[in-house]
Formats: sequence, C-alpha cells, structure tokens
Amino acid sequence: MHCEIRVEGTMSDMLTRAFPELEHVTMSGQTVLFGPLIDEAQLYGLLDRCLSLGLRVVEMRRLPEPG
Amino acid sequence: MAARDDSVREPVPYADPLGEPFLRTRFALPARPATFVRRPRLTDHLDQALDTPLTLVNGAAGAGKTLLVADWAAGLGPPVAWLTGEAGDRQPGVFWAYALRALHSAGVPLPAGAGPGPGPAGRVDHRLLVCLAAELSGRDRPVVLVLDEFHRLTTRENAEQLEFVLHHAGDGLRLVLVSRTEPLLPLHRYRASAAVTEIRNDELAFTPEEAADLLARHGLRLPAPATRALVERTGGWAAGLRLSALAARQSGDPETYLKEFEAGRSTIADFLLAEVLGTQPAPTQDLLLRVSVLDRFRPELAEALTGRPGAEPILAGLCRQNSFVEDLGHSWYRLHPLFGEILRVHLRARLPGLEPELHRRAARWLRDFGAVPQALTHGAAAGDWEFTAGVFVGDLAIGQLLTGLRADHLRVFFSGMDPRATGAAADLVRAARELSERDLDHGLAHLRHAEEQLPAGPAADPSRLSCTLLECLAARLTGAPGRAEQATATAARLRREVPGHLLAKHPELAALLLTHLGSARVWAGRFDAARAVLTEVLDGPGGAATAPAREDCLAHLALIDYLDGWVGRAEREALAAAEARGAGGRPFPGAGLGQLVLAAVAVDRDELERARSLLEEAAACGAVGADPVTEACRALATARLLLAHGDARAAASAAAPAVAALTTAPWAEAHAALTASAVQLAEGRPDTAAGMLDAMPCSGEPRYAAEVAWVRLAAGRRAEAVETAERLCGSDLTGPGVTVRATLVRARAAAEAGDTTAAAKLLARALLDARPDRLRRPFLDAGPGVRSLLEAPYLHGLAAGWLHGGARAPHDGPGTGTGPPALVVEELSGREREVLARLAQLMSTQEMAADLFISVNTVKTHLKSVYRKLGVNRRGDAVRRARERGLL
Repeated sequence: MHCEIRVEGTMSDMLTRAFPELEHVTMSGQTVLFGPLIDEAQLYGLLDRCLSLGLRVVEMRRLPEPG
Repeated sequence: MAARDDSVREPVPYADPLGEPFLRTRFALPARPATFVRRPRLTDHLDQALDTPLTLVNGAAGAGKTLLVADWAAGLGPPVAWLTGEAGDRQPGVFWAYALRALHSAGVPLPAGAGPGPGPAGRVDHRLLVCLAAELSGRDRPVVLVLDEFHRLTTRENAEQLEFVLHHAGDGLRLVLVSRTEPLLPLHRYRASAAVTEIRNDELAFTPEEAADLLARHGLRLPAPATRALVERTGGWAAGLRLSALAARQSGDPETYLKEFEAGRSTIADFLLAEVLGTQPAPTQDLLLRVSVLDRFRPELAEALTGRPGAEPILAGLCRQNSFVEDLGHSWYRLHPLFGEILRVHLRARLPGLEPELHRRAARWLRDFGAVPQALTHGAAAGDWEFTAGVFVGDLAIGQLLTGLRADHLRVFFSGMDPRATGAAADLVRAARELSERDLDHGLAHLRHAEEQLPAGPAADPSRLSCTLLECLAARLTGAPGRAEQATATAARLRREVPGHLLAKHPELAALLLTHLGSARVWAGRFDAARAVLTEVLDGPGGAATAPAREDCLAHLALIDYLDGWVGRAEREALAAAEARGAGGRPFPGAGLGQLVLAAVAVDRDELERARSLLEEAAACGAVGADPVTEACRALATARLLLAHGDARAAASAAAPAVAALTTAPWAEAHAALTASAVQLAEGRPDTAAGMLDAMPCSGEPRYAAEVAWVRLAAGRRAEAVETAERLCGSDLTGPGVTVRATLVRARAAAEAGDTTAAAKLLARALLDARPDRLRRPFLDAGPGVRSLLEAPYLHGLAAGWLHGGARAPHDGPGTGTGPPALVVEELSGREREVLARLAQLMSTQEMAADLFISVNTVKTHLKSVYRKLGVNRRGDAVRRARERGLL
C-alpha cells in the first residue's frame, strides 16, 4: 500500500524532517508527501502528525502497491 | 434520590490512578493574554451552549479555540469545571479521575458509590458513572464541564462513557468539548434533535476586522487591503496571524515583510515559527528547543536542561511577548501545543541525538523534585532503565506493581524495560512483574539475583525492604509458610530503618506483607495466628492504596470462619470483601477468594445455581493457578457443588486443588479426604468411607468431626458417632455449619434406635440452628429417614418458609452470630421487588423509571418503602440485606 498526502503550501526542509518515512515533492504551491504505508494505523498517525504541526491537508490518497 | 443516598462524601484522592499528584494548572481556566481579542459573534454563539447538553468547538491547532472558550467560561457564573487534556489521559480510569477532580474543583460533590477513587487506570467502574450522572441530574443549576484538548482524551470507550453520563445527567450537565478532531459521540442524534451547539473551523477564522484588532494589539497597524490580504493568506488562522504579527514586527519594515509573506507559498506555521525563532537570542532559542521535550516545566527544570542559569527572565520575556510560552501560574509554564510540536522537529534537526540526554536530565531533576511518575516517564524515554527502576524501587513503590490502581499501567510501562539493564532494582522490578504474572521460575530467579546484588550499605535502602515483600509473596505463592514468617520478620526489622515518609507514602507495602503472611498461615492451618495478622491489616490505614490487601484479608477471614462453620459471619466478610473492591483494583494473588467462599455458602443453602454462577465469577476475576489458599478453596467449593448435584465421581477428581505447593495444607487435605469418603458413601460403601477417614490425621478436629461422625454413623458405628456429635454440640468452637450436621447425626441415631420423640426434639434444635443461615443442604443430605420425620406437624412450622419453599426468605432476621438483632420483615410488594432487583443491578432512579414505565417519583416512593421494610436507609445496605434474606 502506498499513500499520498497533499498539504497546502511549501513545507520547509526543517518540517519535512518530521516525516522521515516519506518522500516529498513541492508542486504548484503544495507539498506532496508520499511513500509506502505499513497499515491503516500508520496512515492515521501521519494525518495526526499533520494536524499537530498545523499543516492543512488538501488531499489524501491510498494507492495499491504497483504491480 | 436513591443513588445519592449512598454517596458517602469521601475525601478527594490526592493522586490519580497513575499516582500523579493532580496538577492544579490542569483545572484552571487558561489566562487570556493582553493580546487576546474578544469576538462577540463567537461568544454570542457560545451562549447557546447553556441551552444544549453538548457543545463542540472543533478547529485546527492554533485556531484560537481554547482562549475563546476560556474567555467565555470566565464570564459565566459558577459552576464551571475545566480540564486540559494531556497525552496519557486516554485510559478510562485516568480520564475519569481527572474529570471527577475537575468537577470537584467546581464544587460538585464527588459520588462515592464506587469507593474513593475511580478505580484502576485501565477501566472505570460503571457504578461510578451511574452515581455521577445521578448526582448531576439532581442539580438545580447545570455544571458547565469544559474538556479542552479533547482529542488527547478521546477513545471510543471514553466517548461512550461520556455520552452515558451526559444522557443521564439531563439538565444537570452542559458538556463543552474543545478538540482538533470531531469526537466519537453519536453526533447525528444530537444534531437531529438540535441538542448540540457547534463552532467549527470556518467560524473560528478571523474576519478582516477582527484581524485588524489582533494585529493592533501586537502593535501593528496595517491599511485595510493589507489586512485583508493577510487574512486571505492565513485563512484567518489565529496562530498564523499571531506569528505573522510577531515576525513582521521584528523585521523592521512590517508592511513589506507581510507583502513578501503573502506572495510566498510556504506552509504558514513552520515558516513563520522559524522566522520568529531565528530572531531570538541564541540562549533563548536553545532553551525553547530543549524544553520542547517537556509537557510542563519550571524555570529550574529548564535550567537543568540547558545547563545554564537565567531561565526565569527568558521565560518571563517570552510570556510577555506572547510568543511560544504560556504561563500556567505557580511558576509552571508550557509551550503552545502547536509550537511545541514544531520546535521538537527543530530540536531533532539542530541538536541531533540530544533528546535522550534531555530526557535523562529531566528525569533526574523531576526525581529530586519529588515528581516520581514524571521522572519514570522521562527515564524510560531516555532509555535509562537502571535509573528508572532505581527511582521506582527507591520510592518503595514495588507493591504498586502487584496490586492497586497503577498495577496494570506499571506492568505495561516496565514491559518496555531493556533486557540488558542490570542492578538490584531492575531485577526486583523484573521479579515483581514475573511473580504477578505467576511466572514463578523466572520471578524467583530474578529475586535471587536481586538479593545477591543488594548494596552492602545501610539497611535503610528501600530495595532491601522491597526484597522482603517479594520474598513473602513468593512464599505465599509456593505454599511455604516458614519463608513467609522469615521474610516478615526481616521486614519488621527493616521498616524501622527506612525513612518514615516513604512508608507513609506507600501503606500498601506493610499491608501486602501482612496479607501474604496471613495467607501463608491460613495455608499452614494456623487459623488463630492468621486471624491476628489479617485483622491487623483491617485495623491499619484505609484508602485506595490498601484496598486490594483489605479485600484479600476479608476473604481469608471469611474462609476461616466458613471452615469453622460460622456461615453467616463468613458470608458477611466475603460480601465486605466485595464491597472493598472497585476502590483499588483487584487483589493479587487472592482475587476471587471471596466469591469462592460465597459459593461454598450457597451450596450449604442448596442454592446450587447461585453457587455455580459464583464459581464462574471467581474464575473470571483471577486466572486458575492463583495461590494455594484460593485454589484449595476453589477445589472445596467445586467438589461440594458437584456432590450436591449427585456427581460423586467428578467431585472426587475436583477435590484435589490444582496447585503445586512446597508444603501441604492440613485443612485442604482433610476436605479432600471428606469428599473422597462422601463419594464412597454415595456409592454405597460406608465401611470404605469410614475407613478412609480413620486414616485422616486430623479427623478429631471439631471442624471436621460432624462429617466424620456422619460417615461413621452410616457405617454402623453409632456409639462412636453419637459420642463425637454430642461433644460437638456441647462446645462453642464451631458454628451452625458444623453443629447442624452434628445434631442431625444424633437425630438420625435416635431415629434408628426407635426413639422418635428424641429424634424430633433434636431435629427441632437442628432446624432452629440452621434457620438463620438457611442451611438446607445438611437436611437434604440427611437421608429419607430423617426427612420423613420433618413432616411432623410441629416441626413443619420450624421448617416453613425456608426449608421447603425453594429459595424463599425466612421470616426472621439474619440473626447470625454477631449480626444485627432479628427484625420482623414485612413482605415486599411485587413492584417493590422489581425496584429492588433493579437497585441490585445498579440502575439509577431514572433508568428504573424508564424500565418499569413509571414516574421517577413513583420509583422513589417504592424505594422508600423498600428501605423501610428492610430497615435500612442506603442503597448498598438494601441490596445487602435483600441478598441476606434471599430476596434477590
């Protein structure tokens, strides 16, 4: 399982370190955090982390494992 | 109201289930800073909260929820209760401890229906919630209860319990939940009935006018278009506005700065926080990063983390600027939750690897400050388990790992202990955990290992005394009375050396030592010596800390009395043991002993269904393989129930306790032998039965003599049997549980000799003796010859109402031993019985009314007459009295 979390704004390098398990890319004023997901619990943990860091989640996707 | 009749006003517990002193700062309305902007549209909306049971204030971190509600609540008349949630409050027991304390701070009397405290950390007694709801529903003025940071408190279980209380409290409670996420309540129901006031993120957003006010309070005056642009950029987010004001003010040219910020696309909080942080002097930045590992801190603690003096003026300055730090009063501070999270990210990036060291320093400071639970948390976070175990053992808290409110929490906590941690304290903690999980092999090995490592220094070291407690427990678990005596003697010597304040802080230690000793003495059959120490525990300090030990002691006393035939007294003690529960968690290892004694009593009364369910209850509250005494009692009660059901073979195999003990208990062996002989008797081999008992070493002891005499009579050894029975009836060493059988031996002997007059007289005596305790079983066992005599008209009167009529109540009082004088009982009406049954199920008055389709006032009227007829004036007493009389 893969996940993709899109947050409003460009995250600073510093803040992306709060998500060491995810890759990130900035595009059109949004930051996309993405990477493999162990389970659902991890997904909720990630969303909770966004919330507690004051990030605004604009989109969230769960993608099936490629292949 | 019924529930409140029972509310003994207990003193407020000093500590929560985790043993943490309640921190005043968590129950205080947060202070509004000078820069706070009151927004009438929101406070007006919040005023509707007074008309709806539930109010939700939901919004992102830093949306200004807390200050809005705090300002609104400060303007209300009392009672307003406030609780700020913290990580670690999710366990229901902890959550309710804090919620109750918050209500108490607001002047709401605490219900004590379930004892002085809410129970163990991991769960909450439903009775407590019922009592709380009843207490609230009876109020003239509603209590406003604000739960701030509710997202840190919420679990499905907590939400359901909160919903239960809210529902049953009616107009007595106005619940305000301040949360980042929507709580797990059935909100659709509240919405459908317009019973909820909701303020959500969009409504919390600042309007341009409000933003202009906020910026002005930060010393920033902007033209209207600039303010509007800023509101647009931040989405009206309070934290974003605040940080941008601070950053702009520090920049020298605020307007240009804000223009650039508006044009940028960075995430707001982290960008602005970095900007504001960057302009702080280096020592301030360092301090902020380091304290981000703490929930709350004082200047001295901050200095311990930075290694530099001068934290106080820095913190005061930060508070004045309204950046990052909030003053909680009493020299305690905390970081704004949102900023704290971001600062921790900065800490990890800028001072990598420092976190464990910071936790270690915090742990040491907190230990010296006397905040043991917090010191444990930070010690564990530092991964320093030798230190952490040392703090725990050094506090003389080892007993809390075995029983009590903190036991579950501590077992989980220490399960994370590094297996490489060494030292006496670490091994003691391991031994305690293993013994409490009945892993005797590992537990004993770690205990030996700990003993070898004990510091050679002064006897005052708490680890020595901790060792004796575990020794004594191990002795009880392995059925080694001699070792228990030895350990207790050593402990008595050590207790004189250990600092008094530690002993006073942990009364459970002495109580547990004596309880284990008492249990070991019961095992050895030294009942008088056991009674002496068990009574000492009951006479000792009360409270939640010693409640499990007291329950254990009462159950042991009940067992002793039961074995001696004092059935009524045994029952009262076993019921008192059950009453002691709830206040302090289950005893270890004697959980369920009280129910087992009650089950044995129920068999003697021929209440076999009740006996079966009590046995199940006992099995549910403690895993099989508990301690030898409990196991022996389980074997005894089970075997007697099976015999009563006529299943002799199963009884014989159940009679041997499933426990490995180093020594044997004479009474347990005697009862196994009595069961075995009863099996022979039941299968028509009276001579074999009698022969088995002749070989029994203590067959001459009064407590077994009646049953021995019965078997001998059946084997035709009449003279011998009658002589024993007469001797028993003439002494007062044993109670009706024994003497009724002895009298029946004489009655049957007389009947067999053809002297029906003497037999009838003896039967009358047996009936009178058995009636107060409703001991039916001996008459059922007595055989058809005796039972036919009972049909004599004048005996019929003595047997009427209890012996023949199923589980009906006798018409005279409990009148057992030292009990209250017998009262004439008026029959309860059908409705009164229905109310009584619901009372026993701990239903509130409202619930009974709903359940029975009658009004609350009618329920109250029925309750009053139930109380009058039973001669009691409290809920608990009514249920107890009704049980005693078999009305339930």
